[in-house]
Amino acid sequence: MQGKKYIMGLFKDEDQVVSTLAALKESAYNFQRVHSPIPSHKIMAALELKKSRVGWFTLAGGILGLISGFALAIFCAIQWNLIVSGKPIISLIPFFIVGFEFTILFAVFGNVIGLLTQTKLPDYKGIAYYDPRCSGEHFGVLAACDPNQQEGLKDFFQQNGGEVKVFE
Amino acid sequence: MPQLTYASIDQTVLNTLGPPKRYYWAIVAVLFLGVLTGAGCWIYQIFVGIGAGGQNNPVAWGTYLINFVFWVGIAHSGTLISAILHLFRAGWRNPIARAAETMTVFAVCIAGLFPFIHLGRVWMVYYMLPIPNQRLLWPNFLSPLMFDVIAISTYLTVSSLFWYTGLLPDLAAVRDRSQGTRKKIFDILALGWTGAHEQWRHYTRGYLFFAALATPLVISVHSVVSWDFALGIAPGWHTTIFAPYFVAGAIHSGLAMVLTLMIPLRKIFNYQNIITTEVLENVAKTIVFTGLIVGFAYATEFFIAWYSHNTVEIEQFRWRAFGDYRWGFYFMVFCNTLIPLLFLFKNIRTTVATLFIISLIVNFGMWWERFVIIVGGVARGFSPHAWGLYAPTIVEYGIMLGSFCLFFFFFLLFAKHLPSVSMTEMKETLEQGGSHAG
Repeated sequence: MQGKKYIMGLFKDEDQVVSTLAALKESAYNFQRVHSPIPSHKIMAALELKKSRVGWFTLAGGILGLISGFALAIFCAIQWNLIVSGKPIISLIPFFIVGFEFTILFAVFGNVIGLLTQTKLPDYKGIAYYDPRCSGEHFGVLAACDPNQQEGLKDFFQQNGGEVKVFE
Repeated sequence: MPQLTYASIDQTVLNTLGPPKRYYWAIVAVLFLGVLTGAGCWIYQIFVGIGAGGQNNPVAWGTYLINFVFWVGIAHSGTLISAILHLFRAGWRNPIARAAETMTVFAVCIAGLFPFIHLGRVWMVYYMLPIPNQRLLWPNFLSPLMFDVIAISTYLTVSSLFWYTGLLPDLAAVRDRSQGTRKKIFDILALGWTGAHEQWRHYTRGYLFFAALATPLVISVHSVVSWDFALGIAPGWHTTIFAPYFVAGAIHSGLAMVLTLMIPLRKIFNYQNIITTEVLENVAKTIVFTGLIVGFAYATEFFIAWYSHNTVEIEQFRWRAFGDYRWGFYFMVFCNTLIPLLFLFKNIRTTVATLFIISLIVNFGMWWERFVIIVGGVARGFSPHAWGLYAPTIVEYGIMLGSFCLFFFFFLLFAKHLPSVSMTEMKETLEQGGSHAG
């Protein structure tokens, strides 16, 4: 994208963003991303985003946790082979509690790993082409264009009711 | 009242992070003194031995276990509000979710201290970890106490991660409106969050899974805590009703603590537009519901004791109502079941002063409930010659004071240094058409 100009349209209204995105799709400008202070379902629907894959990490963590919890309880029990209260050495019902807690714990670890890898966080360099107002009350639509299209893109955002910010 | 906007939400919350006044630090210092008192008492007990407490034979579990159960219980309503009500899409929980989640994290931390204190020889704590000790023994996972170690550690880890994940967009909002050192700190804490649509796509999914996982976890944790007692064969403990009874009680006490914390918070930080009377009223209505559940559990215990024809159980419950600790029993019935029924009257549940007073009464009653259950079961066991009584010592009172001071100390530091209301969730509430302008 070297030589490209990055321009952001800042909007206060979610519906304006949705209509701008529809118009941007039809235009020659390259849509980059939308920054918003809230998770907007309207914007996500307009962008036709696929379902996140975070759930697969959560599921993998949960399965690993279930196996680990049972394995830990069984491993500890067979190290001494001591019969307590006449119960079997490997007592699946009480061990299910350990398995259950580990399922939740590891599923959450998987969830966090999924979130960090999918959102690519922490990322302290990615704040380029970002306006701090986007965590407040503005929605920022970032688009790129060739330098000779810069004025056209600025006009495009203004016509759609946005405030324009040009990144140098 | 003025209608809320994105800007007014930001402004109200960010105003709370301004430089604190001198009286804030004075309160923090007083609480810190309380923490030092508790720490001093614990250090004294470590040197003298666990006999510094009032535990005896037969009452081996005293205030350390009472406070453990009390603080775990307090934690539970935070998860109810942040996770369960999130799944139910109850918009009224948004203004109080952050503070309630924070309450959860701090309450679990403090609850987690009490098993260490109760150990006496705290340096032997590694016996609870799945590593072989000197005699090459590994932990016995048939024991409910070991279930508890796993459950509480999981709960602390999960609730901390859930809390931080929820905080992330707000940390970015503070970063974007800060200067100097604060900006540098929040820059690191926010992990580079920019609210890009790709981030939100994964975040909303991940947050939903967090809520879905925290919901069964919170129910399992207090069930496991109840099994510390229910799996023992002491009269008054050995009953199948304990898991739901404890979970309901935990949420009951936690909701009361939410009111105790939120009412001063909204007054001090001018959150009246955000934490409206309607929100407090909804918490009060939930307290009526949980209060009725615990009341039903109290009655069921008596009914089953009578219906079982088991003389030991019958004696246990006769003694509970008319014996040495009858005042504790009257406190628990009166404060947890009867007093919350006052919330059935609209003017009582919409008046801030009465909400606050009743929340304190419920907190008091729920502490006594744990006293009656924990001490009562072992004090009046099977053999009359082994009956005994228990009273806490000054060391235990000191540690209890320290635990309360530590909780409020943490909460006060949080309230002034991190956003105590979720700006993001409040903005979402506006988008969903929720009216919080009163």
